[in-house]
Amino acid sequence: MSRRYDSRTTIFSPDGRLYQVEYALEAISHAGTAIGILAKDGIVLAAERKVTSKLLEQDTSAEKLYILNDNMICAVAGMTADANILINYARQAAQRYLLTYNEDIPCEQLVRRLCDLKQGYTQHGGLRPFGVSFIYAGWDPQRQFQLYLSNPSGNYGGWKATSSGANHASAQSLLKQDYKEDCTLEEACGMAVKVLSKTMDSTKLGSEKIEFATVGQTKDGKIYHRLWSADEIDALLKKHDLAKDETKEE
Amino acid sequence: MEVLLGITGKDFTLIAASKAAMRGATILKASDDKTRQLNKHTLMAYSGEAGDTVQFADYIQANAQLYSMRNESDLSPSALAHFVRGELATSLRSRNPYNVNLLLGGVDPITHKSSLYWLDYLASLAPVPYAAHGYAQYYCLSILDKHHHPDITLGQGIKLLTLCVDELKRRLPIDFKGMTVKAVTKDGVVDIQFDDDKVVKAA
Amino acid sequence: MVGKDCVAIACDLRLGLQALTVSNNFPKIFQYGDNVFLGLTGLATDVATVSDLFRYKVNMYRLREERQIAPRTFANLVSSSLYERRFGPWFVSPVVAGLDPKTGQPFICGFDSIGCIDFAKDFIVSGTATEQLFGMCESLWEPNLGPDQLFETISQSLLNAVDRDALSGWGAHVYIIEKDKVTKRLLKGRQD
Repeated sequence: MSRRYDSRTTIFSPDGRLYQVEYALEAISHAGTAIGILAKDGIVLAAERKVTSKLLEQDTSAEKLYILNDNMICAVAGMTADANILINYARQAAQRYLLTYNEDIPCEQLVRRLCDLKQGYTQHGGLRPFGVSFIYAGWDPQRQFQLYLSNPSGNYGGWKATSSGANHASAQSLLKQDYKEDCTLEEACGMAVKVLSKTMDSTKLGSEKIEFATVGQTKDGKIYHRLWSADEIDALLKKHDLAKDETKEE
Repeated sequence: MEVLLGITGKDFTLIAASKAAMRGATILKASDDKTRQLNKHTLMAYSGEAGDTVQFADYIQANAQLYSMRNESDLSPSALAHFVRGELATSLRSRNPYNVNLLLGGVDPITHKSSLYWLDYLASLAPVPYAAHGYAQYYCLSILDKHHHPDITLGQGIKLLTLCVDELKRRLPIDFKGMTVKAVTKDGVVDIQFDDDKVVKAA
Repeated sequence: MVGKDCVAIACDLRLGLQALTVSNNFPKIFQYGDNVFLGLTGLATDVATVSDLFRYKVNMYRLREERQIAPRTFANLVSSSLYERRFGPWFVSPVVAGLDPKTGQPFICGFDSIGCIDFAKDFIVSGTATEQLFGMCESLWEPNLGPDQLFETISQSLLNAVDRDALSGWGAHVYIIEKDKVTKRLLKGRQD
């Protein structure tokens, strides 16, 4: 049945679905998990790195977490190659806004710019949608810390805690269970590794398998964002008894 | 001989513009309003070549309002000033540049800080505590240098403005038909009643 | 201006239309990384346009390369960006100052408005007070100045040069750039 409709992204199926978009969503649900948690004094993003091999160069550059501009970072769930195109687009949009208005782009506007682009690929013929979901963490003077999730259809929404990628349903229910309003950034970091440890295939966690980043505010009010180093991640894992060498949980 | 004046204070920005619309040596109108409100907290006053001014001001006003509608939030005075500067700078290197001088004043919707920006037709931009355009610069800046203080109240600001306008009436060779005066506060733009009929005799 | 393992860059703060001063808070030095600085003199509108343009380009470079731009790389970016406008140039004469991130060696250079680089081992001057600055720097500068001596030398050179120039002055910004420290100082100068 679907064969007649899913070769074109622009066409609805008789029961009102866009198959290519759903396939894109399906592709994402096989990718590494990414989660984001909003705390009262910052935001944490964490992502699972799927491809690990002894032969793989453990370089420092992040594969799933990217800096978009001075006040925003994002986590990627889905095809990294597709994400690179979108991230470059987002960075240029953010810098162009800075050039025009001499102010950083408000978070929601940047999210919307990306989503408008994504939406285009669900409508124009002969193109496939981007196979990526993003979790955005950012700050702007109007709405302070914000967390957004967007998907290939071009929909986005603001969240207190959210997840994407493999096992996102179970991650989501874990987050729903554990989330506390007004939690601190430190508590949020702990919650993030705990949720990741339960949703990932292997119960043994290590810095080579996950990426970590936080957005926060320094004492003098400046906004910072930081991709964590391997050592910092290991220290965090150890603190929460989730490190590789510890006895298995559950 | 168009006059634009701007003064900032503790929680307000005053903008004043002469009421005369001139063409050559003729005054065509004595109740011209050379200001445009860009959004709730920002006001712009313009002077320069006749057609260019209104055309450019309307274009900026339309863009500011479009932004407010699209994003459900207003641009800050600083963001607008830089946007206007960008538009003027692009125009400067086009085949027919706009010949417009501007004062852009407002109150930041989030921090409630007052601000004033001076822009000329070359798209030079400077944030300033008080400013003037045209010949008024030569008469008023010295007065403002002496009397202005960043913490003045609106009442004191209007007094200071009267001082400046009196001097202009005394020294400028052409009658500029009084001033339109508006103040921007955190509650928006308000018209200020300003006595235009006062006669100031030259020494 | 080059010192021993440090470099300094300074500017005045006046913005004016010929003889009329419009603003006395118009800095002309811009930072593009931990220790890369650009000074821009010339037409005010182009100072603003060019500094914003380089902020765009350097930010994109930093995001793409995941590292800060080096002064020498930046100098070549400035040069090629200015030459793009060979037949309708930005009316600016830039100065770049910084420390090489690898070797820590001081780096300074100047440009004309179409991007010809002028490398120097001692000092670079630009703007309306160029002649006066050349005189002051020639007589005060010496090799291997420490950070404090360098600050004194560049400040005296700048202040005394702009005092003899009617079109510049009204205070100054001075940056002293060391290996892992940048000191910014505000000099009041003559306010007349």
